[in-house]
Amino acid sequence: MFAKAPSHSTALGPGCAGPPLANPQQLSSAQASAHERGSHQPSCGAAPFAVDASMLRSTGSQPHKHTQSPYVTGSSVLAITYAGGVMLASDTLASYGSTKRYKSVQRLVKVNDSTVLGAGGEISDLQFILNMLDDLKTEDYCADDGQSLSSQELYSYLSRVMYNRRNKMDPLWNSLIIAGLEGGKPFLGSVNMIGVAFSDDHLATGFGNHLARPLFRKRHRPDMSEEEATALIREALEVCYYRDKQSINKFQIAKVTASEGVSISEPFALPTKWEYKAFVDPTRNAVGVW
Amino acid sequence: MFKAALHSGSGKPRRRATVSSPHKPAGRKLLEWRGRIDQHFGYGSSEASRSLYLEDGGQYAALLQAELEQPVSLGTTIIAASYAGGVVLGADSRTTTGNYIANRVTDKITPLAENVYICRSGSAADTQAISAYVQWFLQQHAVDLDRHVSVKTAAKLAQTMVYQNKNMLQAGLIIAGWDKQGGGSVHTVPLGGTLLQVPYSIGGSGSAYITGLCDKLWRPHMTQQECHEFVVKAVTHAMARDGSSGGCIRTVTISKDGVKRDFLPHTRVPIAYGEMQQPMSVGA
Amino acid sequence: MSGIGTGYDLSVSTFSPDGRVFQTAYAQKAVDNGGTVVGIRCKDGVVLGVEKPVASKMLVGGSNRSTYPINQQTGMGIAGVSADGRQIVNRAMQEATQYKGFYGEVIPGYVLSERIASYVHLFNLYWYVRPFGAALLMASYDSEGPQLYLIEPGGTAHRYFGTAIGKGRQSAKTDIEKLKLTELSCRQGVVEVAKILHTVHDEEKPFELELAWICDESNKEFKRVPADLAAEAEQQAKAALDEDMDS
Repeated sequence: MFAKAPSHSTALGPGCAGPPLANPQQLSSAQASAHERGSHQPSCGAAPFAVDASMLRSTGSQPHKHTQSPYVTGSSVLAITYAGGVMLASDTLASYGSTKRYKSVQRLVKVNDSTVLGAGGEISDLQFILNMLDDLKTEDYCADDGQSLSSQELYSYLSRVMYNRRNKMDPLWNSLIIAGLEGGKPFLGSVNMIGVAFSDDHLATGFGNHLARPLFRKRHRPDMSEEEATALIREALEVCYYRDKQSINKFQIAKVTASEGVSISEPFALPTKWEYKAFVDPTRNAVGVW
Repeated sequence: MFKAALHSGSGKPRRRATVSSPHKPAGRKLLEWRGRIDQHFGYGSSEASRSLYLEDGGQYAALLQAELEQPVSLGTTIIAASYAGGVVLGADSRTTTGNYIANRVTDKITPLAENVYICRSGSAADTQAISAYVQWFLQQHAVDLDRHVSVKTAAKLAQTMVYQNKNMLQAGLIIAGWDKQGGGSVHTVPLGGTLLQVPYSIGGSGSAYITGLCDKLWRPHMTQQECHEFVVKAVTHAMARDGSSGGCIRTVTISKDGVKRDFLPHTRVPIAYGEMQQPMSVGA
Repeated sequence: MSGIGTGYDLSVSTFSPDGRVFQTAYAQKAVDNGGTVVGIRCKDGVVLGVEKPVASKMLVGGSNRSTYPINQQTGMGIAGVSADGRQIVNRAMQEATQYKGFYGEVIPGYVLSERIASYVHLFNLYWYVRPFGAALLMASYDSEGPQLYLIEPGGTAHRYFGTAIGKGRQSAKTDIEKLKLTELSCRQGVVEVAKILHTVHDEEKPFELELAWICDESNKEFKRVPADLAAEAEQQAKAALDEDMDS
């Protein structure tokens, strides 16, 4: 076989293989001379592989447009490990922009007997992912060998899918948390729309990262009892409800344990606190403020 | 004949931003033609419109021409609601190009199969194309199945097209119907191509004005008549506040007993707060 | 067969003067000489049973499968050349996945049976292919209830209350006709199938019995019959057989 000649992508800079830009830009004389002078050459002498930011922009100061933007979206998913299991939680809202449009959408989904997927972001993309996982599950079923994909395998698979799609500049607009038991031990993995994937023993997506994870860092222990874990998750949900505008007080909690497998609760509401005296007249002791 | 006019309007290339020559005869011809159609069917005052169209040296026609260059859009109110035993679909009848009402008696409730209908909102061209494809697929599918297709399948087919072409399509759809397995069901496909089965759904620009009303009025297990009243009331109130919705109210009721269409002409649409009852016309 | 030596049996693209396609008939023969496969549709599901002759004492038990799930709600039993059958099974899986992806619903039994029959039929049309030497019994359970289909090498698909193919098909079919299938549960059906297969297998050669079902008890999923139930059924079958011999 003959080696394929690299096509020179203006986005990647000279000497790099890659597809041409959709709207190829002529090099400005300054840029062209910069290339000639070899200013892109790394000092180590290796072949250059740098994205020239100026080349990623189309005419003027207009930034490149993404291939899509989300329409119907879900908000945070929270997840923690505890002694003998994992616990996930999210609300059941699917927003349409800032409209709280669909209020009974389940965003925690059982993938197989040992794994739950929690998802925020574009719901149509989530449905696409679920259809894909469903086909995988059927494939597993047909093999009829008693094996099914483990949580970690699903996590790896999804991280590849998400990363692939973002490289096609057509991302699946989601933040995912994959939760389950891996060899009897709790496992949590998170993947986002640009393919960043990591595992931890407590996780959150979206606003939950800012609102819930500080709580988790302070209070979470891997050896928590189920009661403690439930209390922590509920408190985190409550905080998310107070401070995330795209949330409603209608939640579900999913658990994966060795003894009971996957269980996803019916939707429930949390008690919230608004009865503080100071709330009635918040400016009473602060003259001159609003 | 009227159908043909509708098609020539919506078949124009859409999303052309440029305004063409103000004295383009085709534009004037078109308007004149529309005037005649209106006259023929008894819509509108022909004398007044004719003088507007033709006797100002083409300036007015040029302005309207610019309007007509806008995409043909179903800035709309659509709704479908399930009741015990079936579904009721409803829609206003207004189609616009910019501020011009391209069609004031549009039928936005399109059959996909004998037992499944779709409410279309967004670009008229896009939603017509999607509906035509789904009709075609379902026809094939019904032959394969040798029975009525399911509402879910119809919805899934529409969903797939919206999802896979989300960058190119401007379509908000509500698919509703009756089948043996699922009874009456409503499926909604908003802009990005999400597919959700819901008890009722509203869509189009007018829906923003009636979310609260519908949340308040909709109840599970309504009778067919209650459901029909709910749908008409919802569309009425949307038309009262949304400039892009208006005209008449069409409804389609689907149950195990079949499909029933109803038409509420503009003159019989209830009057909302701030509006005025029109005087009795001579013919009425 | 009268076609032998006349040159009319070399290709599926040649009819014999009396209007037959010998290659298709030979493919059917490949099925008819294989192990017996029985399928019955009971009141709550479908049971498939395959008689698998054990070719060698050194064979590892259960290593040659003859029943395959197509998806959760459909399964197939292969009669004849099992390698050919597997090809059809793979096609069926693809069809089922494709249908679900497109229509959003599980493929109905009769749609799948027709599609598979069309696929099998293709191999009866061109000189450069040979027909499959396998027939398939397909069990499915959808919104229309439990169904049993038989797809044969010629490209035909028929729906049955109960049928049998392979070497012992004649007496097996006679036995099936005696069953009251509308009253029989699948749990009882498993025993009947085991009995039939033990009865028609009258040689001394050892054989393995593979049983699969889809019924309410299996959660409407196509599965191998649980090992304990299968063992019990086989035991009862043997006992019944011994009784018959004694009497």
